[in-house]
Amino acid sequence: MSARPFPVPGRPAAPDRPATRRRRRLGAAALGVVAALTLAACGSRPSEQATTSTEPIVIGISLPLTGDFSQPGGEAKRGYEVWQKQVNESGGLLGRQVQLKIVDDASSQDTVVSDYTKLITQDKVDLLLGTFSSLLNYPASAVAEKNQMVFVEPAGGAPNMFARGFKYLFFAQQATAPHQADVFVNYIKTLPPDQRPKTAAYPTQDDPFAAPVIESMQKQLSALGVQTVYSQTYPADTTNFQSIASQLSTKKPDLIAQGAVFEDGVGLVRSLKQLGYSPKMLFQTSAPSNAGQYSSAIGTDNTEGVFYTVSWSQDAKTPQNAEFVSGYKAAYKNADPAEDAADAFATAQVLQTAVTKVGSIDQAKIRDWLHANEVQTILGPLSWTATGEPRGQFLLAQWQSNKVQVVGPPDLATTETVVNPKPDWK
Amino acid sequence: MAQLVQALVLGILIGGVYALMASGLTLIFGVMRIINIAQGAFLILVATVTWWLWRETGIDPIIASVITTPMMFGLGWVLYRTVVSRIRGQSASMSVLLTFGIALVIEGILNVVSGNKFRSATPSYFEQSFTIGSIHLPKPQVYGFLAAVVVLAGLYLVLTRTWTGRAIRAVSQNPSAAALVGVSATGTAALAFALGAASAGVGGSILSVLYPFFPASHYDWISRLLGIVVLGGMGSLPGAMVGALVLGLAETLTATYGSLRWSTLVFYLVIMVVLLVRPQGLFGARLREDGVTV
Repeated sequence: MSARPFPVPGRPAAPDRPATRRRRRLGAAALGVVAALTLAACGSRPSEQATTSTEPIVIGISLPLTGDFSQPGGEAKRGYEVWQKQVNESGGLLGRQVQLKIVDDASSQDTVVSDYTKLITQDKVDLLLGTFSSLLNYPASAVAEKNQMVFVEPAGGAPNMFARGFKYLFFAQQATAPHQADVFVNYIKTLPPDQRPKTAAYPTQDDPFAAPVIESMQKQLSALGVQTVYSQTYPADTTNFQSIASQLSTKKPDLIAQGAVFEDGVGLVRSLKQLGYSPKMLFQTSAPSNAGQYSSAIGTDNTEGVFYTVSWSQDAKTPQNAEFVSGYKAAYKNADPAEDAADAFATAQVLQTAVTKVGSIDQAKIRDWLHANEVQTILGPLSWTATGEPRGQFLLAQWQSNKVQVVGPPDLATTETVVNPKPDWK
Repeated sequence: MAQLVQALVLGILIGGVYALMASGLTLIFGVMRIINIAQGAFLILVATVTWWLWRETGIDPIIASVITTPMMFGLGWVLYRTVVSRIRGQSASMSVLLTFGIALVIEGILNVVSGNKFRSATPSYFEQSFTIGSIHLPKPQVYGFLAAVVVLAGLYLVLTRTWTGRAIRAVSQNPSAAALVGVSATGTAALAFALGAASAGVGGSILSVLYPFFPASHYDWISRLLGIVVLGGMGSLPGAMVGALVLGLAETLTATYGSLRWSTLVFYLVIMVVLLVRPQGLFGARLREDGVTV
């Protein structure tokens, strides 16, 4: 859930929480749009008119409220709106009320480009906030860059987002996909050598946001002396996991680290249990983050000790997290906030902090401030490289007693207990 | 050696389940030349109903097929009488359009009614297995395989030993001659369509235990089922069984001895090779119109 893969156009709508499935595989389609973009987005940047303090600050946002990404897009909208309500109740931004101008891009790259162009050139909004998914943020951030507007975005962590040398782009999560597993490797490093896994198996789905995580973990753990006994990539439509489980159970690795989107994570756990093999440690990339659906699919007791990485936790003791959770619950029938909403809230926090520190809505000053400083958000501290790639690390989460706990990094952990080794399947 | 036996056993077990799922598709095509793209959606519909029955009443998902099978028989019959019968005599491509539409409607209704979420029925045995020496037989696969064998045997007996079954086969072989001897083509076609849909009753209930599913899962399943039916020969029940076993074995053997990357691809390579040699599929009958050009 933490990464935002490109989805496939025309792929069937995917289920609510296992959104990674829908978001994976939209490959390089985005790249082709760039050429069109540079032509499309040639409006002049809005002047920062000196406004009287009574006028609201208008923030322009385009979100996928319909189409493939409507579910996460709708959550992002909620996250932004919870932030807006809280900031206005506490006196607004620079003493002015905040108004969000949210338009729907229907999950389309063409529409998101014209949306942001219109927001900038015709509506002359004061500030921008990003949209959802790498697919849409890739072209949208190019419009913002062209118009020299700061573009903080909640969900676009594909590495090629940051290969363009943009100066106004900031990704408001902790890390891109290849660095997602760093926090797990760091945890392994804290273990005394005799408690570290000696052997590891790395099955991963051929998915742009699962495979890089596992590849980078394998490289880092090998450097620590963890021997690789199995490393295989399987296609996205694999449903039959008994063969993999059967091989794993003969190789008996201490650690199984799977690049799992959802069904594949469930499938492997079931098959391992059927074959009677329980590894000492189990790490899966996204599958375990789909809380209720994961635990009901593999059996609640079997979740005990499973590790995964995530950008946000409801119980995290980060600044304003409790206010965000209670504000969200109050606004939306006591529902638990989704990670996508939290990411959007954090994105707005980043912009809010920069504007407050700079004391104006001067885009260049905001940009420079963000490049030079660290921002406290509900996801934890965030800071960026010159191209807007975050420098942080994800949270390491673990299922404990049918609840999700954050166990790393230590300063953001919600518990000091780490279940290791994982108990046998129940 | 143990690894080979394990791979073979798993391949055969899963192949049996695939065979059951594909049997309805091949039956409907055999009799009506209708390519039923909605067969995958039928499976997911049944899986969803089964999951709901299991959650609400605790009834075993595979046993629940005694409820879902008549339900699907009725749905198939109604669908045939109301919409499918209207495209009789039209080209096969019309049937693809129509049944794809039916699949989309079912998917949409499931989305609205049951929500766009992954579900899976998890009765007590869902992740247990029988152990014989060093060979593990996952219980849900074994039960699924046994149910598939029972249903396929029943279907085969109906088709070969009963008047109704012979009528279905007669219509599939020669509709005009069947009509001459008093077999109603429309009634028989409705029956065949209903039987084909009913076969999803057991197939879908097994699916609900074996794999997590959500409303749009039917795309994955229909592509796999079409592959099986094309390999075996469109319209041939034994062909569907052999095609399904080939798929099951190709998946497990490639995954065990080759690369996982190839495990789903190998099956399609097999299909291509078979079609080059036998364009009608392994068990497909050559139609008279095919013979004209030979």
